[in-house]
Amino acid sequence: MDMIAGFLRRPAAASMLSLVGVLVFYGAFAGADLGQLANAASWLNYAARIGIVAIPVGLLMISGEIDISIGAMIPAGAMTTAIISGYYELPMVFGIVGALGIGVLVGLVNGILAVRTNVPTLIITLATLVAMQGIVLAGSKLLTGSASVPLKSPGWAKTMFGNLMFGGSHQVVIIWWVIFAVAFWFVLHRTKYGNWVFAMGGDKESARNAGIPVNRMTILLFVLTATSAAFVGMCHAILFNSAQVSGGMNDIFNIIVSVVVGGVLLTGGFGSVPGVFVGALTFAIVIKGIDFTDINRNWANLIIGIMLLLAVALNENFRKLALNYAGKKK
Amino acid sequence: MTTRSETGSKRFSLGQIARRPETGSFIGLAIVYTFFAVLGGPVFMGAPGWSSWLNIAAEVGIIALPVGLLMISGEFDISVGSVVPASSMMAAMLSGHYELPALVGIAGGLGVGLLIGFVNGLIVTRTSIPSLIVTIGVMFAVMGLTLGFAVLLKGSTSVSYVPDPVTKYFLGQFMGGMFNVSILWWAGFVAVFFYVLHVSPIGNWVFAIGGDRESARNAGIPTRRVTIGLFMASGFAAAFVGVAQVMTYQQANVAGGQAFIFNSIMCVVIGGVLLTGGAGSIIGIVLGTMTFAIVNQGIFFAALDPNIGSIIIGALLLTAVVSNDKFHSLAVSFAAKKK
Repeated sequence: MDMIAGFLRRPAAASMLSLVGVLVFYGAFAGADLGQLANAASWLNYAARIGIVAIPVGLLMISGEIDISIGAMIPAGAMTTAIISGYYELPMVFGIVGALGIGVLVGLVNGILAVRTNVPTLIITLATLVAMQGIVLAGSKLLTGSASVPLKSPGWAKTMFGNLMFGGSHQVVIIWWVIFAVAFWFVLHRTKYGNWVFAMGGDKESARNAGIPVNRMTILLFVLTATSAAFVGMCHAILFNSAQVSGGMNDIFNIIVSVVVGGVLLTGGFGSVPGVFVGALTFAIVIKGIDFTDINRNWANLIIGIMLLLAVALNENFRKLALNYAGKKK
Repeated sequence: MTTRSETGSKRFSLGQIARRPETGSFIGLAIVYTFFAVLGGPVFMGAPGWSSWLNIAAEVGIIALPVGLLMISGEFDISVGSVVPASSMMAAMLSGHYELPALVGIAGGLGVGLLIGFVNGLIVTRTSIPSLIVTIGVMFAVMGLTLGFAVLLKGSTSVSYVPDPVTKYFLGQFMGGMFNVSILWWAGFVAVFFYVLHVSPIGNWVFAIGGDRESARNAGIPTRRVTIGLFMASGFAAAFVGVAQVMTYQQANVAGGQAFIFNSIMCVVIGGVLLTGGAGSIIGIVLGTMTFAIVNQGIFFAALDPNIGSIIIGALLLTAVVSNDKFHSLAVSFAAKKK
């Protein structure tokens, strides 16, 4: 009993329940072959794509901010890599550094605007989202004359960022996703920086008064979200040997949904890395796993919507449980 | 509102003008129009230019009005992006596929919007889940329902419908061959919303809720009913645009409409509404919508790369929010010269 109560109070509880719920629903009622699903790569690849970005976005949301410019940063990272190393044929390293550099730059802009003004970060990043979309498209047309740039990457870059593993169709980004998750788990749950992030989400003013460098942390978190989005874009450019300017817009809502299903509170102060990890996994299984069921894939969005609302409602109740909980014995 | 009636004297004051919420948006509009007028020349300044940006402004403007009111009251509505295709699908399905009278289709389409708005409002007021998340969830659900039912009932993702002349005349006509009749509807919506926000007591309630929900409730304002009403208004407006689209283009599609989500928010913010609630005006939202539409369409007349338009809108948005920030602190801290 105590174990169950302890589990329910964890931020990851609702996302674990969502995952189990989706699997039971697909397996028992929709005729999905779970064994076949487990061997398939489509959902894991997708989970890794949104999961790598979802983790830093989750941290940002725990600290009470939001970043939607990631939707433009995934294609921006891909295009930068392809333009530098594909179109101008510079060494791959420059392409990689360039893509990550764009991420750092946009993250800095977002972060500095966030700490210098009182404007909500949703609007700041909406502005950088629209602006970056224009810059990437116009820049690509201006420099290369086309909206799609081919890229040939050397063997080592392929191995590190764009390979398929296990002789099948699992992309190497899955490994990166796990690395990101472990690294961020350590930072958020085992270091003082993690405590700072939670403190900022709880009450920014008190956090500052307690001596936490709130501004620097906020800027750093924005740099992390933008850079990880650019990283995903770069990996995809290397994997698919080309980059397109389109795409990425759907990722905004998909990533936010993953984070929220993962038990992060939009208003800040509550959440966990394992939760976000499971949230991305659940989202990907709903979207991609539906192909393995008898359900027409057109209904996938309906399931996502209902799952999101249910998971959030559960989270609300579990959080109340967590906040009101006092140990049984005095 | 209150300050205007309190000061009473109609004395011209720079401070008073600078702290009005729409000043910044008006300056932005003037700069943008001049910019594109210079680049686009007489074609942009003539009827073709006006019709092209007014048509865009009318569509997004009808949705931006209630979205703006919601933002003044401190809430968001993302679901408008899925209400537009859902309602146009419903109208085309009823009147086109099942060949019911046009009025039934229109009522069905608008009903979808009202229902989705009601669900949004109910969830937002009954739970403590932020409206951003609620409406994202509802958006996904409605997208799935629209696509699922369209394929289930029609077997395709688009339905065509040829409206009768009367319906076409009121909802889908191009006046003078260029100006979409929605421009007039937009003007009607503006008048209604202006009355609601700036004349009727409901407007004061909306501002009060945006300022401090708890105090508003304690002051006796029916905050729940107002919030649900606002969500229903935004569902209705989005549905209206969806229905008008069917009558204009004689076809409904399950996709599309997504652009309205961010576009309507951008119009509202360029129009000087604070995202944190409690400030904004209808005139500002209209000016913001015009600015957005002029950039959106002017770019084609200016023979620039259309993608530059996004950069301009992004820059405009940032300038708008940063200056609104300044204007607002000016407005809040403003004390008339004489004690």
